[in-house]
Amino acid sequence: MSASLPTFSFFTLVGRNLQNRPYRNIAVVLSFAIVAGTLFSALYLIGGARQSLENGLDRMGADIMVVPEKYAAASQSVILTGEPSTFFFNDTGFEQIAGLPGVTKASPEIYVATLFGQSCCAAGVQIIAIDPIRDFTIATWLKENPGVAMGKDDIIVGSAISGDIGSDLLFYGHTFHVVGRLARTGMGLDMAVFTRIEDAYTMADESGVKAVQKLTIPPRMVSAVLVRIDPGVSPAAISDEIKQRVPGTRTLTPNGLLNAISGQLGAITWFLYGSAITVTAVSIPLMGSISAMVAYERRKEIAVIQALGAPRSFVMRLMLAESFSLAIIGALAGIGAATIILVGFQDFIAFTLKIPFTIPSLFTIALYGGSALLLSIIIGVIASLYPAYLINHSEPYETMRKGES
Amino acid sequence: MISVNGVTKAFITGSSEVRAVDNVDLDVQPGEFILILGRSGSGKSTLLGMLAGLIRPTAGTIRIKGVDISTLTDNQIAELRAQEIGFVFQFSGLIPTVTALENVMIPTLFHPGGPGNRTKALELLDQVGVAGRADAYPKTLSSGEMKRVAIARALINKPSILIADEPTGDLDDATESEIMALFRQLNDEGITIIMVTHNPDLIPCATRTYSMSHGRMARNPDSPLCRRVPETRYVNKDHP
Repeated sequence: MSASLPTFSFFTLVGRNLQNRPYRNIAVVLSFAIVAGTLFSALYLIGGARQSLENGLDRMGADIMVVPEKYAAASQSVILTGEPSTFFFNDTGFEQIAGLPGVTKASPEIYVATLFGQSCCAAGVQIIAIDPIRDFTIATWLKENPGVAMGKDDIIVGSAISGDIGSDLLFYGHTFHVVGRLARTGMGLDMAVFTRIEDAYTMADESGVKAVQKLTIPPRMVSAVLVRIDPGVSPAAISDEIKQRVPGTRTLTPNGLLNAISGQLGAITWFLYGSAITVTAVSIPLMGSISAMVAYERRKEIAVIQALGAPRSFVMRLMLAESFSLAIIGALAGIGAATIILVGFQDFIAFTLKIPFTIPSLFTIALYGGSALLLSIIIGVIASLYPAYLINHSEPYETMRKGES
Repeated sequence: MISVNGVTKAFITGSSEVRAVDNVDLDVQPGEFILILGRSGSGKSTLLGMLAGLIRPTAGTIRIKGVDISTLTDNQIAELRAQEIGFVFQFSGLIPTVTALENVMIPTLFHPGGPGNRTKALELLDQVGVAGRADAYPKTLSSGEMKRVAIARALINKPSILIADEPTGDLDDATESEIMALFRQLNDEGITIIMVTHNPDLIPCATRTYSMSHGRMARNPDSPLCRRVPETRYVNKDHP
């Protein structure tokens, strides 16, 4: 044998102890994985929702959105979660709004929910018909083919809609031509298709013969009016004015939407954080019990190590290093599994939870992962500290003799 | 080398005090092979535990190489054990998660000299006759093999004192003979051995014998069966 054979180190012993006690270690690793995975998921979903909200509201471009009062909730859903809806109010309202002092621009929109089973999409799509001349929001969102002007039967699609630029999409039997794509927001607008109001009317007229279900867009009606106000003018004051001048309408503002979704997000935040806190709270005594059982099972082994000359600090380090390693392995496994699930099913999760969602930045994900990892390590150390202390301060010789077999 | 004066270990059980070891004196010279005989519960293992610094005496002093171990901290006693004392238990005490070779190397992890290399451990396994089982895990070893590995482990830090607590208690006669031959060989090489046993058949291995009963220890008359400590015997710190 050569003298250059590797030495046997403290870490070799830690590694062997972990490697050769697979069953109890798998149980501990799984516990840590659940804790870290739950916490990471909560942070990831809440962070993704907040980021999406910020992105979406930044891109909304309007200071006020006027919608029919009884469809205010449906309007929010269109913007936030992409649940398609069809609703109208009389377009005389638009003229009154556009003429209000303090209003810089006003742009009418017509909302039409498509039929299910469109070639582009698994779910229904929101068609938003705009007036390209008056619109002041869509052009700035274009990610692909920026600067394109919408001509006859042209559409600009949200980021989640299938279909390349130049391809055709069929809605209510009418063929549209994709000319642009919007950047992702994580909000409902990702599932919207923008066309011109006159093309929407044509589509509705043709639907009686081309589509399985006739679409009716009543004349001289709009679904929403987007309003941009003069600098320094209070959105609240204009909103009040609009509600007085155009009865039966509700005004939505980015702040109002933020509040609405914050309330919704708040409930989910409570749920997610509550789950993480519950799992953590349950895991500490659980881990403590597992650590205590493991420590009890190993009391004779620890006593032998002490009898061979190990100081208490060595035993403490050994037990904490094992717990630390299991916490890291478990946490990384949990975070990894959660990442795969969250990224793979993010649209489904966001749809189910009814929250806007976009993947947080890599830095943010790393931060969330680091937080979950740190918490797992803290739990691991706390849970193993007391059993390690107890076993380390028992009489080794008595322990050995009691444990003789 | 070892000086024990008036050592007592008392345990309180309920309202009464039980003296597991009662006012024991013992002087051990370098190179001796001390055998302490006694029935189960006579206090001999408790005495060994005190000699190794694993149990603190209730009264009396224990000096090892002139140092009163009652004045040492737990860490200092642990360091003394790591450097000067090899311990062989009645049960093998092998750590189940590491191989025979790695078991032998464990005491090097807390020796001030730092982790030893595998070559040294292999040499020791070869010396005790189980080099071929170096990579085997304890559960695959026979009782005799486990005991040999435990002896090799006790020797890895080159101790001057070997303490053995009924090391042949669970072995068959043939294996017991082999293990005792190994102890005699180690003693011949200069290691001071203190062993407790209930088996008087082992007297011929010792240079001096004692008997313990109810915590009291008495020196037995010198037996013609006992070995003699050669005048030239010295403690070889370079052992083995």
